Formats: sequence, C-alpha cells, structure tokens
Amino acid sequence: MTENMEGLELKDRLNLIENMIAEGRRGTESWGWAFVFWGVAYYIAIAWSSGGFGGPTWSRNYLAWPVTMIGGVVLSWILAARKSRKQPATTIGRSIGSVWAGMGISTFPIMFALGISGRMDTHTAVAIIGAMLGAANMTSSIILKWKMQFACGVVWLTTGAASCFLSENQAGILFLVAIFFCQIVFGIYGMIADSRKQKVNGTGQGVSHA
Amino acid sequence: MPELPELNPVIHGKLRLALLSLLTGVEEAEFTWLRLKTGSTDGNLGAQLLKLEEAGYVAVEKKFVQRKPQTLYRMTEAGRQALTDYVQALKQLLGAAIDA
Repeated sequence: MTENMEGLELKDRLNLIENMIAEGRRGTESWGWAFVFWGVAYYIAIAWSSGGFGGPTWSRNYLAWPVTMIGGVVLSWILAARKSRKQPATTIGRSIGSVWAGMGISTFPIMFALGISGRMDTHTAVAIIGAMLGAANMTSSIILKWKMQFACGVVWLTTGAASCFLSENQAGILFLVAIFFCQIVFGIYGMIADSRKQKVNGTGQGVSHA
Repeated sequence: MPELPELNPVIHGKLRLALLSLLTGVEEAEFTWLRLKTGSTDGNLGAQLLKLEEAGYVAVEKKFVQRKPQTLYRMTEAGRQALTDYVQALKQLLGAAIDA
C-alpha cells in the first residue's frame, strides 16, 4: 500500500515536470497589434508626405517618413515593453525581435540617405520597403512556422519587384494595397488568432504548495 | 541489486519542482508570470524561489522598466543539471517501484 502510494507520488512528480515544461514553452507572444500599428504608421507617413495634411509634396516633405518612423519605433517600444512584463523571455521571441529590429535598422539609413540626397522616388521607396518587409516576414514566418505570414512576405517581395516595372502612380497604389492586406488585414487576423490561443491556453495550474 | 538513488530535497517540493520545470522552457521569466502559471500566493512563491536561489538553481535580476520594479528569474546551469539528475533518479525509482 505504502509502496503504491510512493509510486503514485513519483508518477505525479514526473507528470508535473512534463506539464510545466510544456506550459513554459507554450507561446503566448502576441504580434498582431504590431502589424496593425505599423500599417497605420505607413499610412500616416504616406498621407503626410503626399501633402494630405496640408504640407508640401512628397519630394519636398522629407521629414514625414523619418519623423513618423522614429515616432513609431518609440511608441512600439513602449507598447512592447508593457506587454513583455506579462510574458517570459524566450529564444523564439528574441529571434523574431532581432529580425524586425535588423530590418528597421538596415532600412532607415538607406531611406534617410535617399531622402536627403533627393534621389528618392516612389519606385525606389516601394522596391526597398517591399524587399525588406518581404525578407523580414519570410524569416519570421519560418521561425514561427506560420504559412500566412510567409504569404505576406511573398506579397511584399512581389510588390517591391513589380514597382520597378510600373508607373509611379501604379507603384504607389500597389504599395497602399500591400499595406492594407499585409499589415492591417494580416494584423487583425493575427490579433484574433492570438486571442483564441490565449483562451485555449487558459491560466494557472494550481501548484500552490511546496 | 543496485542502490536506489535519493531524490534531491530542494527540488522535490511540488512548487519548487514546478518552478524549475517552467524555467527550463524560457530564457527568463518575471515573478508575476510564475505566479500566474503556478497559481501560488506571493508569499509562498517568494519563499520557494528564495530556496532555489540559495541552492544556486535560479538567478535573480531586479530592474526597473518604465519606472516599475521587475524581478526576473532564470535557471542556472547548476539548476538545469540538478533537474536532469532529479528526473534520472525519479525514473530509476519508478522503475524499481514497477519491478517490486
């Protein structure tokens, strides 16, 4: 009887280890909001740079993109720091974060240099942004094994490549459409998927005593 | 007959075992996340984490993020080894219990 009890207790401990390891590895990171956030930031930058806010035209309003992007980085850093308080740091989280940080750090100086040298046009901007966002989406989709995000990466790469063959207006429209589907729609889809995942995961395992 | 191994008493406690197992899957975790996952009270959780820290199985880092205090826990190499040894011992004991 005592041996049986001990055996059961040992099995209970083994089950506890298995359950807790699985619980710790279960992904709780949510990324959907970041896509929507950056989609809106791109729209704001485009509207501002094209004179939508009453300012000068695209080529002259060189402040629109840098100011919006720097503002976006600061705001998203604050939001991400708040969210990360509720989540543990994982290797996957760090990998994804470094892909997007690398993308941002690489894109910014090129775009800034093109802007201040006066060599920026719609074709170049869409080609660079499309290529960078395509690469970042594809890389993170491979880490997360997320086919939908891979499809977004393909759309961004296609947009970047297609802009080289289209007229300036057509390239601009294609960019707006890509932002809508790959940032706003995909972001909302991601947010819905995150909230479903969190409901399924639940909280608290009730291991309350030593 | 081979001698049966003894279970490490520091790890054998249910909550301490749960905490070490949780920390194996993450790089570092905040106190509140560990509380959420274990369903433990602040006092009990703090006391058990202190025992693990004293044994050298977890490392603690305290910092401020946006002016709010944050306590982060991460498993040490000694903790990882101790948990591996504990699981090995547990399997040996279970094998012996099944044989008996």
